[in-house]
Amino acid sequence: MIGLMKGLAYTLKELTREKVTYDYPHEPLPLPDRFRGIQKFYPEKCIVCNQCVNICPTECIQLTGKKHPDPTKKGKVIETYNINFEICILCDLCTEVCPTEAIVMTNNFELAEYSRDALYKDLAWLDENDTNIRRENKP
Amino acid sequence: MMEQWLESTPSWSNIALFFGLGALLLAVVLAFVTYGILAERKVMGFMQGRIGPNQVGGRFGLLQTVADVLKLLLKEDTIPKAADRPLYVLAPIIAFTPSFMVLAVLPFTDSFRFADIGVGLLYYIAVSGLTTIGVVAGGWASNNKYALLGGMRAAAQMISYEIPLVMSALGVVLLAGSMNLVDIVAAQKDVWFIFAQPLAFLIFLIAAVAELNRTPFDLPEAESELVAGFHVEYSGFRWAFFMLAEYVYLFAMAALVTILFLGGWHPVAFLGWIPGAVWFALKFCAVVFVLIWFRATFPRVRADQLMEFAWKVLLPLSLVNIVLTAVVKAWFF
Amino acid sequence: MMLRTEEMILNVGPQHPSTHGVFRLILKIDGEIIQEATPVIGYLHRGTEKIAEGLQYTQIIPYTDRMDYLSAMTNNYVLCHAVETMMGIEVPERAEYLRVLAMELGRIASHLVWWGTYLLDLGATSPFLYAFREREMIINLLNELSGARLTFNYMRIGGVKWDAPDGWIDKVKQFVPYMREKLHGYHELVTGNEIFRQRVTGVGRYTKEEAISYSLSGVNLRSTGVKWDLRKDEPYSIYDRFDFDVPVRDGGDCLARYECRMAEIEQSLRIIEQACEQFPPEGPIMGKVPRIIKAPPGETFVRIEAPRGEIGCYIASDGKKEPYRLKFRRPSFYNLQILPKLLKGQNLANVIAILGSIDIVLGEVDG
Repeated sequence: MIGLMKGLAYTLKELTREKVTYDYPHEPLPLPDRFRGIQKFYPEKCIVCNQCVNICPTECIQLTGKKHPDPTKKGKVIETYNINFEICILCDLCTEVCPTEAIVMTNNFELAEYSRDALYKDLAWLDENDTNIRRENKP
Repeated sequence: MMEQWLESTPSWSNIALFFGLGALLLAVVLAFVTYGILAERKVMGFMQGRIGPNQVGGRFGLLQTVADVLKLLLKEDTIPKAADRPLYVLAPIIAFTPSFMVLAVLPFTDSFRFADIGVGLLYYIAVSGLTTIGVVAGGWASNNKYALLGGMRAAAQMISYEIPLVMSALGVVLLAGSMNLVDIVAAQKDVWFIFAQPLAFLIFLIAAVAELNRTPFDLPEAESELVAGFHVEYSGFRWAFFMLAEYVYLFAMAALVTILFLGGWHPVAFLGWIPGAVWFALKFCAVVFVLIWFRATFPRVRADQLMEFAWKVLLPLSLVNIVLTAVVKAWFF
Repeated sequence: MMLRTEEMILNVGPQHPSTHGVFRLILKIDGEIIQEATPVIGYLHRGTEKIAEGLQYTQIIPYTDRMDYLSAMTNNYVLCHAVETMMGIEVPERAEYLRVLAMELGRIASHLVWWGTYLLDLGATSPFLYAFREREMIINLLNELSGARLTFNYMRIGGVKWDAPDGWIDKVKQFVPYMREKLHGYHELVTGNEIFRQRVTGVGRYTKEEAISYSLSGVNLRSTGVKWDLRKDEPYSIYDRFDFDVPVRDGGDCLARYECRMAEIEQSLRIIEQACEQFPPEGPIMGKVPRIIKAPPGETFVRIEAPRGEIGCYIASDGKKEPYRLKFRRPSFYNLQILPKLLKGQNLANVIAILGSIDIVLGEVDG
């Protein structure tokens, strides 16, 4: 009986304690800066080194490059850059290996779509995704 | 006033009047169920560090249950192919009807009551036992193993706990000298029976929780074991009927506890200027709160422990209580 | 007249509220008494070990997150530890402290989820929400540290990815007394509850010898009186620097396992407290690691103490960037083996109590 009474006293005390739930869809969720959401891509920074493609554990990144349009400059520039968000696991390895921080993480995590096609994020989409960009990208 | 109507000669206008009053009671009960469910969710939420429904119907979620019921109405009415169709359809009705029938004998105030029969308490117990049939039938007719297990558990539990329920109430009957619920309330004018019969109150409360299939005795629909128990195959409005029956019984049982032990509409000490209906409502709400409180605190007991508890603990205790009450009454009154 | 009775087959799961994921049990029952129980697993099999054969070591780390998803940090660690052992990499002190802090926080979070869901299995709803309230604080702490709430991908071969953010250690320090107070409340709410004690005392009992012969580990072993905790007996990382006890019970029943886990939360809090005090104020978080990680040819097996038992990692390497063969000893999988034996002769309510007390995570069972 004593145990039952103690339990009842505990729940009664909880009745007036402060509530801890988030009012989530109405108020944005507070997220730390390091939080890993969908990537932001800077085409002008990319040097087409293919490291992100190689490190991706799920092979969800595809990219193609082309010769630099300015013939006086060496190297390549990016032409297409696609991330397949059906299989991306947001592991952060692509941003970790990128030597120029051309691909960085943002805090945007609301990624639900009505169609699977919308989950293929192309260069234009990733370029426009420029809100809540992570400030600190390299450890 | 009700007294006069009850005793007047039958006529068409009389029937219409009683039909109207019955519909009024139904409306009151449905309103209780609506807000009882909301209160349960709110109180449990507050006890669990959250705030409960707050989306539909303003900040307090006042229309949440209404929205839920509307959703249930829109749901597809599924009947399993291998189910016993007539029984499957009938079961929710058998379960619900007695829950509303028992309300007839409950006196809410000294003037607001429907039937003033001499064996009111007996009537309540007898009619409420019928619901078991609906539950077992639903479990059987679903042709589902979980439902069957749930139905069997429900039958065993409700029958076992009815005995200590009646036995503990007998102490009250002995003191009041009547099975009429109005007389029982009248007998508590000076001393509520919760003080005269504390042991009986405790046994009655425990048995009542078991009768209502609520935590810690919610075995028939044990979510974590039987998924949903006897109503696992039911959907839409048929399912709603089982739920409705459950909550109408909650209403009835809380009212019965108020009548038998908490002095019905009698006020506390000098606060007689507050009307009886308010007193009844306050006591009633306190009982409902206690039931919700139990639900938010306790884990579920196991089937064999449940049976042992009924037959080896509650029944002997209630028999002792009856003997003690009889001895006290014979020697001191 | 004799009524004809027959046994019936009851299919529990893979979609059942109490199978903690997609576990399936085929029960042959007589009334509510179990005659025979056959577990069926594999619904969440993703072939982690096979996939790993085609991946570089760093790439495998996010896959380990998804095995025991309730304490991903220990999985991260066991893989990194195995590779570091093979390559002889020295891990800087600060990184070791961060790893220990993360792992112990993860252990508490994992035990909290167990506590909440176990009570939910037994029919009490509130403990689940209390446990998740506290777990949310841990998850937030780990989120601040690693950038994810469950699939941390935090550890790297030779160190950790991120240093502790400003003020993080202080937040962890503040969490310890908070959690202690809540733990006291848990004991008040549940541990003394007579209904709860009746449900678990003497249920699902097995002996020391049985536990060892079924190769159980972790709390499932310690609840029978075997004092075996790899953090003490084969200290890895920097666990030899902390003063903590290994909770042991003799009962071997669900209650013993319950008490062991609750006591482990307390011990983890002690470790966290000491780790916060000893935390080196400065230092690198990555050791000297070659740019391309190639384990030398050969094989290695390391094991550590995860919340659910001993998690082991076996790597056979032929000197390439990818492992030739990688195998995890997944504790939930081994602990589950004793289930059919325990269930025989029990009733349906005990099935849930026993299954819950073993504490399985299906991501780990199915690999």
